[in-house]
Amino acid sequence: MYLPDFEYYAPDSIAEACQLLSQFGAKAKVLAGGTDMVVKMKNELLAPEVVVSVKNLEQLKKIEYVAGKGVCVGALCTHNDLVKSDVLKERYPSVANAARQMANNQVRNRGTVGGNISNAVPSADLPPIFIALNATAKLVGTKGERTVAMEDLFTGPGKTVMAQDELIAEVFIPDQKMTGSNYIKFGLRKSGALAVVGVAVAVQVENGVIKDARVALGAVAATPVRAKKTEEFLKGKNATDDVLAEAGVIASGECKPISDIRASAEYRTDLVRIFTKRALRKAVDEGHV
Amino acid sequence: MKQDYSYVGKSVDRNDSYGKTTGHAQYTADLKFPGMLYGKLIRSTIAHGRIKSIDTSEAEKLNGVKAIITAKDVPSMKWGLSPARFDENIFCIDKVRYHGDKIGAVCAVDEETVYKALKLIKVEYEELPAVFTWQDAAKEGAPQIFEEYPGNLNTEIHHHFGDVDAALKDAYYVRTDKFQGQRTYHAFIENHASAAYWDGDRAFLYSSCQSVHYVQYHLCRVLGMKMGNLTVRQTNVGAGFGGKLDPTGLDFAAVILSKITGQPVKMWYDHAETFLNGRGRHPMTMELTTGVDKNGKILAHKFDCVLEGGAYTGLGIASSYYAGSLLGVLYLIDNYKFDCRRYVTNLPPCGAQRGHGQPQPRFAFEHHIDLVGEAIGVDPIDMRLINARKGNSITTAGYEVKSYNLVGANKMARDASGWTEKRGKMGVGRGIGVGNGGFVTGAGFCQYRTDYPHSVGMVKIFDDGTRAYVYSNAVDIGQGSDTVLMQMAAEAMGYPYERCQMVTGDTDLSTLDFGAYASRQTLMAGWAVKRAGAEVKKKVLAKACEMLKASGRIKEGFGYLDGPLTPEDLDCVEGIVFVKQEPAVKLTFEEVARKYFVDHGVLLGRGWYHPGKLGGNHKGAAVGTSPAYSSATQVAEVQVDMETGQIECVDTWDVHDSGTIINPKLFHGQVHGAFYMGVGETIWEEVKFDKKTGKLLNGNFAEYRLPTALDMPPVESLTLDDSYEPNGPYGLKEVGEGATTPTMGAVANAIYDAMGVSMTELPITYEKVWRALRDKKASGK
Ligand SMILES: Cc1cc2nc3c(=O)[nH]c(=O)nc-3n(C[C@H](O)[C@H](O)[C@H](O)COP(=O)(O)OP(=O)(O)OC[C@H]3O[C@@H](n4cnc5c(N)ncnc54)[C@H](O)[C@@H]3O)c2cc1C
Repeated sequence: MYLPDFEYYAPDSIAEACQLLSQFGAKAKVLAGGTDMVVKMKNELLAPEVVVSVKNLEQLKKIEYVAGKGVCVGALCTHNDLVKSDVLKERYPSVANAARQMANNQVRNRGTVGGNISNAVPSADLPPIFIALNATAKLVGTKGERTVAMEDLFTGPGKTVMAQDELIAEVFIPDQKMTGSNYIKFGLRKSGALAVVGVAVAVQVENGVIKDARVALGAVAATPVRAKKTEEFLKGKNATDDVLAEAGVIASGECKPISDIRASAEYRTDLVRIFTKRALRKAVDEGHV
Repeated sequence: MKQDYSYVGKSVDRNDSYGKTTGHAQYTADLKFPGMLYGKLIRSTIAHGRIKSIDTSEAEKLNGVKAIITAKDVPSMKWGLSPARFDENIFCIDKVRYHGDKIGAVCAVDEETVYKALKLIKVEYEELPAVFTWQDAAKEGAPQIFEEYPGNLNTEIHHHFGDVDAALKDAYYVRTDKFQGQRTYHAFIENHASAAYWDGDRAFLYSSCQSVHYVQYHLCRVLGMKMGNLTVRQTNVGAGFGGKLDPTGLDFAAVILSKITGQPVKMWYDHAETFLNGRGRHPMTMELTTGVDKNGKILAHKFDCVLEGGAYTGLGIASSYYAGSLLGVLYLIDNYKFDCRRYVTNLPPCGAQRGHGQPQPRFAFEHHIDLVGEAIGVDPIDMRLINARKGNSITTAGYEVKSYNLVGANKMARDASGWTEKRGKMGVGRGIGVGNGGFVTGAGFCQYRTDYPHSVGMVKIFDDGTRAYVYSNAVDIGQGSDTVLMQMAAEAMGYPYERCQMVTGDTDLSTLDFGAYASRQTLMAGWAVKRAGAEVKKKVLAKACEMLKASGRIKEGFGYLDGPLTPEDLDCVEGIVFVKQEPAVKLTFEEVARKYFVDHGVLLGRGWYHPGKLGGNHKGAAVGTSPAYSSATQVAEVQVDMETGQIECVDTWDVHDSGTIINPKLFHGQVHGAFYMGVGETIWEEVKFDKKTGKLLNGNFAEYRLPTALDMPPVESLTLDDSYEPNGPYGLKEVGEGATTPTMGAVANAIYDAMGVSMTELPITYEKVWRALRDKKASGK
């Protein structure tokens, strides 16, 4: 339980950070809140020779609404920044609510949005709700910037499309026609438990009819996944309990969970059914995005 | 029996609250000595095998490494906690018996070097097949873990009182149920730590333990030292719950390494290592058969229990006896058969954990008796009322029970919880359940054989009377024993509690106590310091009498006095000595004590306690016999999500028959903490191992899930006003462990009431509930 030796940099600009990442290549790792990385380093699962802390990149710590476009969440915002954000409370309470269900207060004070996404574990709580809200990530590297849809970012457990010299700078949630969204996390106790299943949904409901829906599932496949058949099924249907229950059944057929120390694949599959139904019900009824 | 006391019965502030809440409190791992080295244990990386070679040469070359020791460098005498089963060595000699077993120790100039050195040590093994369940251990031809335990059978108990078979034959209804418990872990926050140094031929050891005396005794026995040459000391202890009663490899290694290096050595476990040190709750496989008459009166009970013991015995023999010995205290059972086996396996050893061997059998029995009652149409609380023991009685096994109000506890819990309106009436998904429990208030015997008193106390008044030092090596592991002992000593002396100070945690300076286990300290150390306080008071009153007479303030034959003034005419309360008939005639304790010091030297009071000969003559009677027994009833209300299986414990009531409550705030704290542990073990907690390698899988608090504050229900903790125990000082008896024993049964019964499926396997996880509900649906019932 001690940290390996490493060189430490705390650059003042994104460009400098990318430069360092490019210079040291695979030897280097970005450090944000450290709630994933320091734990792994102490447990000897990770031993970067160079640590590039992004803590000085103040411009990445803001949550703002860009008029007519959408909400921009800086990658260095902590989970508690999301919980407390007035912008999110007003526009996307489901995101603030997802953040509130994470970890415990101490970890929420340190853990960041960028870290949660980059770490790319299937059980991470923020990716599903970002996917359901059609969010994108802005990646910055030495060769410039690019924008990637959140749902295209993950390629496997711990893997993303990000290049070695790239940072996540921000997450962008576009203005949308969705009328409601919701994320339900199911963990094995009320706090400090990773998701056994996480279900995020966004729906556009008009006069009781579902015009559009996006459903994203966490902790039930190698990456967060969209339940596209479920979405297709929902379009044009009345938001009745029977329809939403049926959607749950379809979603449970779209996940590929594994059995691990926390839960069996069977249990996770059925939980997807239950929570898809419940998350849809809430998103339809509560009617705010 | 109720009296007006100054301190007894008052929620005075704990003596350690300032230090602990501000972070000033020191724990063993905080200690620093000049030239101190840091050390850790070398642990086995396989579950079972012969050690072929240990190569430490690379590690020794590492800059900063000061010493590396293995079995060849230390005495080979075996130790343990049950004299009949000493089977543990300081370091493994020929074989390792579990993944994590102790192979040796390293010390170096700093923490980092120790970890680096550990990685350079190469141990070569000849791997042997291993067994991780008692079922595998008991199989014909199973690998033998110890030569001493053929068939891996570590102990066997057969208790038979009355004629069970005949009584079952006559019963109106007979039922058998099977239950399975799990391995749990104490989860104290402060991991084990030890620090040692030598001065000439004298060793000094700081140990985060539950008994300085037992650590001193066992170390001296194995190391061949006189007890006067090893001082065991303590700082604050961050809890124990039974897991710090056995000496650890750290205690032995720190003493030996500091001798070899001539420098102080501090050693510690991280959380995963504390899991590996083990000594937590045994998983038990239990089969219960009960025969009742048509009112629910128990005619006979048969209890078959198998304990999965892990690699060493530790306190496991006592755990085995406790599994069966206290049932007959709770309930009147004339015909009782208890058969028990404990097997060794290739996992960390199991031992004592709050409630010792009793909580899982309590869970099994409390659920089983509900199923019996249901079958014959008797309400759960009525089942318990019909069978509950009453005070001033003798159990079938011969234990004497003085105060005992389980009947009152059940009635109070029933009324407080709204039982009658709720039970079976709250609809699907919501349920209420009851469980009973209780515990010994101290064991009747020392853990090793000795004729020593169990507790010795002393009070020394400072020269000018401005402070009272209360001596006892009772261990405050966070339960607040220092506070209640000072309350009792202050009461007995008539001296202000606020001016008392504990002298404890030091085998040189303070006085013998066997330590924190078997819920013994408040009663046993309580008697010792109460008696010490009383002796001080006696001396103070005598001196005050002399002073008053000399002062001329009292005239013989004056008013209320028909003879000369005697000490009996005086009393002392809260630091004021006064004439009982005329309280205005008074002296301060301080001036009297000062005068005593001038005339005679130190003002001392001494006290001691030995429980004497207690009831029970059968083999194993020693585990279960006690000067006093608590009893308790808990009611729990739960909500079960009938789709996901998620359980929420929403409300609880506890009535503890605990005699006089010395400090209500600390008492309720014990009840809350006990319920917390119990509900955690019911729903969430389980230590897991890889089924093929025996490697610990969840040695951390992310995957060993204790409930969080959000999972914890409110607890209404109630007491019985007329509870008074004649065998306890001020009429007290235990609360620490007893309050954890009804919980699993109460919660499991509430879950059954909510979901209608009997859950017989701990922990009752959300997934198990989900599965049970799914299976029930599939079977169409
Ligand atoms: C006790 C505990 C409980 C937890 N509970 C939860 C939970 O309930 N739900 C949950 O989802 N997670 C949980 N976590 C995991 C963790 O807290 C979150 O994933 C957190 O968001 C990680 O953020 P961080 O800033 O601490 O990341 P770090 O540990 O600093 O980094 C994590 C990874 O992301 C990379 N990285 C960080 N920032 C960037 C960036 N801007 N660009 C590119 N790469 C970057 C790092 O190189 C590293 O590989 C828990 C952790 C702990 C210790």
